[in-house]
Amino acid sequence: MSSSEESQMIIMKEFLDEDPAQVEMLRRTLTARRHRRQKTLPEAAGPPEPRAEERSRASMAAAPGAPRDLPPGPSTLRTDFAEFSVRERMREKLKAAKSKAEISLLQEDPSPRPRCLKSVKERKTEVRLDEASDNDKSREMQEEESHLSSKTKFRDSVKKLKQKSTFQNDFPSAEEAYNFFTFSFDPEPENVKARARKRNELNEEEEAEEECVETHEGEEEEEEMDEDVRLVKDDDLFVIGQTAEDFLVMKPADCESYSEQLKKEKEFLFTPSMLAVPASEKIPRNLQPRYLEDEGLYTGERPFVSQSNQNILENRILRQEQGKEWFGDDGRVLALPNPIKQSSTRPPVFLLEEGVAPELETVYQKAIKMTAANQCLVGPGDVQGLFQLDIDISGLIFTHHPCFSREHVLAAKLAQLYDQYLARKQKNLTKLLTDKLHALRNAVQCTIDGGGPGTPVAQQSIPEYKIEIRQTRRLRDAEQEKDRMLLKTIIKVWKQIKSLRDFQQFTNTPMKLYLRKEEVDQRLVEKEYEAEIQAEIHELLEEYMEEYERKMEEYKIELQEWKSWKKAQKSKKKKKKKDVHEEESLEDCDLGEERVKPIPPKMANSLEIEQQVREKADNCRRKPGEPALIPELILSGSITPTELCPRAEVLRREDVKKRSAFIKVLFNSKEVSRTVTRPISSDFRVHFGQIFNLQIFNWPESLKLQIFETMGMSSTTLLAEVFIPVPETTILTGNAPIEEIEFSSNQRVMLDHEGVGSGVSFSFEADGSNKMTLMTSGKVSNSVSWAVGEKGIPLIPPVSQQNTGIPSTLKNTDAIASIGTSGLTDMKKLAKWAAEAKLDPNDPNNAALMQLIMVTTSGEAHVPDFFRLEQLQQEFNFVSDEEFNRSKRFRLLQLRNGEVAEFRNYKQVPLHEREISEKIFQEYDKRLQERDVIDSKNYLDAHRAVVASYLQKVRESVINRFLTAKHHFLLSDLVNEEEMPSLGSEGPGILGLSLFKLAEPKRPLKPRRKERKKVTAQNLSDGDIKLLVNIVRAYDIPVRKQVMSKLHQPSKSSRSFNELFAASPSAQSPADSPDWAFNQVLVRPFVEVSFQRTVCRTTTAEGPNPNWNEELELPFRAPNGDYSTHSLQSVKDEIFINVFDEVLLDAVEDDHERGNGICTRVERRWLGCVKIPFTTVYFQARIDGTFKVNIPPVLLGYSKEKNLGIERGYDSVRNLSEGSYITLFITIEPQLIPGEPVREKFDTQEDEKLLQAAEKYEAECISMFPSRQCLTTVIDLSGKTVFITRYIKPLNPPQELLDAVPNSSQTAAELVARYVALIPFLPDSVSFAGICDLWSTSDQFLYLLAGDEEEHAVLLCNYFLGMGKKAWLIIGNAIPEGPTAYVLTLEQSQYVIWNPSTGCFYGQYDTFCPLQNVYCLISCDNIWFNMQEYDSPVRINFDISRTKHWKSFFSRSLPYPGLHSVQPEELVYQHSDKAAAVELQARIEKILKDKIMEWRPRHLTRWNRYCTSTLRNFLPLLEQNQGKNVEDDHQAELQKQLGDYRVSGFPIHMPFSEVRPLIEAVHSTGVHTIDISNVEFALAVYIHAYPQNILSVWIYVASLVRNR
Amino acid sequence: RLFCKWGLHTGGAWKLLSGLGSGQTQVDDPQVDDVAYWCHPVDVHFATKGLQGWPKLHLQVWHQDGLGRSEVLGYGFCHVPATPGCHALACVTWRPRGTWWERLSQRFVGGGPQLRSPEAVAASAADRFRLRTEAAGTVHLQLGVILRHFGRYGVEC
Repeated sequence: MSSSEESQMIIMKEFLDEDPAQVEMLRRTLTARRHRRQKTLPEAAGPPEPRAEERSRASMAAAPGAPRDLPPGPSTLRTDFAEFSVRERMREKLKAAKSKAEISLLQEDPSPRPRCLKSVKERKTEVRLDEASDNDKSREMQEEESHLSSKTKFRDSVKKLKQKSTFQNDFPSAEEAYNFFTFSFDPEPENVKARARKRNELNEEEEAEEECVETHEGEEEEEEMDEDVRLVKDDDLFVIGQTAEDFLVMKPADCESYSEQLKKEKEFLFTPSMLAVPASEKIPRNLQPRYLEDEGLYTGERPFVSQSNQNILENRILRQEQGKEWFGDDGRVLALPNPIKQSSTRPPVFLLEEGVAPELETVYQKAIKMTAANQCLVGPGDVQGLFQLDIDISGLIFTHHPCFSREHVLAAKLAQLYDQYLARKQKNLTKLLTDKLHALRNAVQCTIDGGGPGTPVAQQSIPEYKIEIRQTRRLRDAEQEKDRMLLKTIIKVWKQIKSLRDFQQFTNTPMKLYLRKEEVDQRLVEKEYEAEIQAEIHELLEEYMEEYERKMEEYKIELQEWKSWKKAQKSKKKKKKKDVHEEESLEDCDLGEERVKPIPPKMANSLEIEQQVREKADNCRRKPGEPALIPELILSGSITPTELCPRAEVLRREDVKKRSAFIKVLFNSKEVSRTVTRPISSDFRVHFGQIFNLQIFNWPESLKLQIFETMGMSSTTLLAEVFIPVPETTILTGNAPIEEIEFSSNQRVMLDHEGVGSGVSFSFEADGSNKMTLMTSGKVSNSVSWAVGEKGIPLIPPVSQQNTGIPSTLKNTDAIASIGTSGLTDMKKLAKWAAEAKLDPNDPNNAALMQLIMVTTSGEAHVPDFFRLEQLQQEFNFVSDEEFNRSKRFRLLQLRNGEVAEFRNYKQVPLHEREISEKIFQEYDKRLQERDVIDSKNYLDAHRAVVASYLQKVRESVINRFLTAKHHFLLSDLVNEEEMPSLGSEGPGILGLSLFKLAEPKRPLKPRRKERKKVTAQNLSDGDIKLLVNIVRAYDIPVRKQVMSKLHQPSKSSRSFNELFAASPSAQSPADSPDWAFNQVLVRPFVEVSFQRTVCRTTTAEGPNPNWNEELELPFRAPNGDYSTHSLQSVKDEIFINVFDEVLLDAVEDDHERGNGICTRVERRWLGCVKIPFTTVYFQARIDGTFKVNIPPVLLGYSKEKNLGIERGYDSVRNLSEGSYITLFITIEPQLIPGEPVREKFDTQEDEKLLQAAEKYEAECISMFPSRQCLTTVIDLSGKTVFITRYIKPLNPPQELLDAVPNSSQTAAELVARYVALIPFLPDSVSFAGICDLWSTSDQFLYLLAGDEEEHAVLLCNYFLGMGKKAWLIIGNAIPEGPTAYVLTLEQSQYVIWNPSTGCFYGQYDTFCPLQNVYCLISCDNIWFNMQEYDSPVRINFDISRTKHWKSFFSRSLPYPGLHSVQPEELVYQHSDKAAAVELQARIEKILKDKIMEWRPRHLTRWNRYCTSTLRNFLPLLEQNQGKNVEDDHQAELQKQLGDYRVSGFPIHMPFSEVRPLIEAVHSTGVHTIDISNVEFALAVYIHAYPQNILSVWIYVASLVRNR
Repeated sequence: RLFCKWGLHTGGAWKLLSGLGSGQTQVDDPQVDDVAYWCHPVDVHFATKGLQGWPKLHLQVWHQDGLGRSEVLGYGFCHVPATPGCHALACVTWRPRGTWWERLSQRFVGGGPQLRSPEAVAASAADRFRLRTEAAGTVHLQLGVILRHFGRYGVEC
């Protein structure tokens, strides 16, 4: 093609300057050729003929043109001629061509025909065009007018159109056209005008030029032509119009035969074959195909493609260059893993019948009633409420029993040993280990021999193997030794049995032991033995060598260090000389690290090693000569019949026959069933073989078997308790194994026959040496499992039964992820399974599982106790866990939320970390650490420290138990609703009673206290609550003694100002009765109330019966600022109401200064106090009454003289009792609602009927007298409900107390009461804040040495009963305690009420009796409720036989069932430790002295030793007389001894529990507040120890001022 | 007479510092409108070390009938908003629609189909389409969210 183009180009260049005709020709050929080129392009293998023809034609056309080349000129003639000649030539040429074409056409195939046709057409059309241009003048005119360019285009387009329109013309038509053409030819020359022709020629010239240019362009830009072709299409219409029908020619549909098509296609299409490609072609040469899957690597699953398709693809790829890139190592086309998910992302169509995913299951549930605390396993309306536990108790075997004879003991031992032997044999550890050892040795040998040390793997593995070998050997040796020992002991025991049988001449047990010898090849064994030893020696040597090398290494290093250090030393020493200053310090440190020169290690000696090995082998292995012994135990021996036995043995056998055993099954510590009683057989086996089906409703918490043994007909003793684990949910009845659970009891049995007893030592030897003590023990074989229901559904309760509304989720993870959470038990199994199933570790599907297994297997025995649910979490964490946990603020918040005691009421956690100090946690951390460490420092007494920590623990557990219960709120707690004003209602009604109130007097004569609005505790803050103390009046305040005035008279300077004051009015009005002045001097008391270290005082009143009527306001601060009922209940603060005497002293010491002014000093002296705990005020809401002031038995300088002359009105009342009284009214403003006792049921061991009766009784009583408390059941320390009468039981008081006063029962009773009162008082409401009363039994009480009123009362009552008195417990209301318990005794037809916490007693008609109301009486067998109108003890009748007045609990309808007491049979008292008491005394004294000095920081505290010793001598006296009737002698004595001192002081008496209350008491007296410069102090402590470590503490405090 | 049980579910990175993670409102007996007002305060303080498992609030609306029995009326859950400030949320609820027999008995004797494990379904909404449910009202919540130190770890809220 390119060559032809070139030729064309050349031709064109030549023609450039030729005449237009030729140009025209050329143009024609060119266009034709161009067309042809267009056509031929697609047909690569087109037929060459037409081209050839064309070429020939072109050459023909060109050839004639070339010679006739004429210079171009515008001469007409020539043009005419030229035109003619041209035409002629044309015609000829056409003819020739036609003919040629005809021939060729005829000859040609059908395929090139169109080509041919076209060329013909072209020719024809061109000719015709010329014709047309000649003929059609009008058209020429048009052409002239129109632009040349357009003209040419037009023509071109026309030409092309013609070509197209005549595309289907057949050959004949061409001929016709030719005819037509030739026909019109002849007339033309005549008609044609020269001008026109000229013009035409001119045009043509121009055209030619134009054409040339165009062709040039055309050559270069072929595309333009295409555009033209496209353009022309639009002009179809007028072309059609122009063309005649002649152009249309019918033509048969041409078709190519299929085979031809194929043939053709074959030439330019490539069809890859479907045959498999040999692998060798696909992979690079010289390589074997690798199959990754076979190598264990993970390859994803390939998507499915049919094999043939694959082959095709492969073939296709192979043809390509670099086609091999597409193939993987295995000779297959690379493919990504199958992207198709196994499960369809789009879920299947949902059908109702289809099973729903388990978590989506809906359950139809009936509407449920909510229960507050749902402790049941399932809701009552639940369908699946049937669960069953099967307990199979098959038998009982005693491994020891009191009735065992000696032989039995040995037999049991033998059997046990034999069992052990069998078990060991079954495991056969020795063999296993030996084999392992051999295998390991072989392995080492192989690696050394085969691989040599060259390969790194072997090198690495050899040491590993060696370590393994060593370990295995050690293990094996140990095992072998054990085996041998076992065998030896078996034989020894058997020998013992034999000798015993010989000795006692009868046999009891059918045991027989045979030792079977196993014959072995002597030589072989010996050889093995030797080989073994040699191997061992070799290994040991190696080991030692290694160690030696290591040690050498170490030694070298050490030596190096030592040397360098030595050098440093030397250099230092040099330095030292230079500066002397540093010398000392340097030397200090040098001395500390003086080093020892390291010692080089020893080289191991091979001989020694051999010695060792042989020794060991001798010890633990059979010697080569020895035969292998195999013991066999057979139960075929005959037992000597009873007749032949000695008497003792006969007795024993009979005893055994009498005995039988049964087992109780306790579920959640309730007996649910028991086995039948079966006799114990002679070989001490009991067979039960019973299965119990427990249908349970409650969640199983404990399963217990109690083994009982019955002796003969009567006694049943509990041998032991066995706890059975509640089975896991996977254990079902079918597959539960029978387990043997061992039990033993510490019961002590001594028998008078051959039986050895238990807990008693006995010996096998005749001389009684080698004693042994055996306890009753045995095994229970049983199995517990969950039953399987009818449909094979296990009757197992759901594992997680949560009561809370929405439990947290763990479940939304898939099955594998939940393996770890579900219990971790089958972790090992899982790993095993994974190993067996050969899971692909690379498969992402298995990733989670593999990770799990990795964790489990790598840690061997270590099973992680967690499972990571969110594996990726770690990567996204902001902070690490440690940092997270370190946050103090978070910790604080959490602790506060968790209601940890220290932080429970912490308000306002700071916003920033830095604002939280570390100190906050210190205390808490300390407490956590020291929980179990008993700190005896604060208690001064080990026992009390233990008790305190025990109490602390009880307290904590109880508190934790009730914390949840505390969150139950009542409606009134949350909703604050004002009462609606209504008509006629009580309270704030507008129209009702309040109307009448208008008529009431403004100031009623007897104002009543209005009921104040109660405030719930939650919205209070500091300072809101105030404690109001109204001190009304006091009676019988001690008065100053006249001795004092006598005393001060000689020394004028320090006279009491009081005296002066009293004297001055008398001086003014000496006419007044001297009595008056006398009375005035007596005392000037005032009251000081201190609460939470805030102190308030009244004004000073005068006289022994002062009247203050003042209201004091004290702020109340709750601990930690928490005002919840809970914390308020636990406020331990007490209100101290102290009565002082105000003494005015002249401060001026010199007489001569007196005239200038009056300068006095106010001194106060403590007279007595009343203590009221805050909780009492809190619970009572108000305290109103007259209290006895606790005045010390001795008040130096004061006397309790009665001045009868003054207030006669009170005489009648007062003479009944002695002491001073104070009337108080205490309340809290605003009123707080006391916390309700926890309303919760406790579990109990009481009879159900009894409890029901108690409930009924209580309800009846309360309905009649709602204000009276009726107590039938109480809660004991372990939180169980116990019937109250069980607490009452006669108990022996300490013998010491009874011995002290042998004759007088009255004083003995008082002594006992005092003893009880000495037990420290600790209200439950403080220790178990606001929870409930816990009643401890008397022995617990005495052990704890702390208790509530109830405990005191119970103990006192029990003592009184024990002393043979008639005594009852009174449940009542007293001040200041509130609801409390007192003791009532009947003595000589007179009822006496005892206050157990103070030891005081009152007659029934004593008005100052603190007991205000009596609710019920309790004796050891009944309860009586007070049915009388009044409940004040003064006004009621205590005769309980009157059913009208007292409603009894047990009556004829409900007889007393004989409840046995919870109290112990007898109280055992420890003798008190006098020495400890003395020591304690000294310590307390020291502490108190320190404290007093501490309280007086600005003054010097001097101690008067003389006085102290006097006081110390005096205290025991006080204790003996219990503070009575000693005053006067004491006073006198003191006076005598300390003549020139003014002494004011008093003894304080307290029960001892801790030091703190003592300090508090001393502080509250205010002795230390004296600030006279020359004051001296005296302090003495005396502790009297009563039995059971009850300590009575006396503290004598005095201040002395020297009289001058 | 409706009441609502609620619970907060969080991922493992979240730690409950104070407050209750779940609870139950009072029973409101609406007499005027079709709206039950609970006015139940939820006060929870969380600390987190990651964003995963942002807390979700699960709600169960229960009905207490005249006999004091309770039945489920709706399940729903919503995310706690991630931006600080006060948000008013409306949590739509749904309940399982039982078979016609269940519906019949529900109509006459009360009770109704309940989810066996409500938290699982509520936690992953993916499988819920299997259930046949019906709409059951909306629970309106007003949550005030305070975030702290999120910016320190590059979380913008």
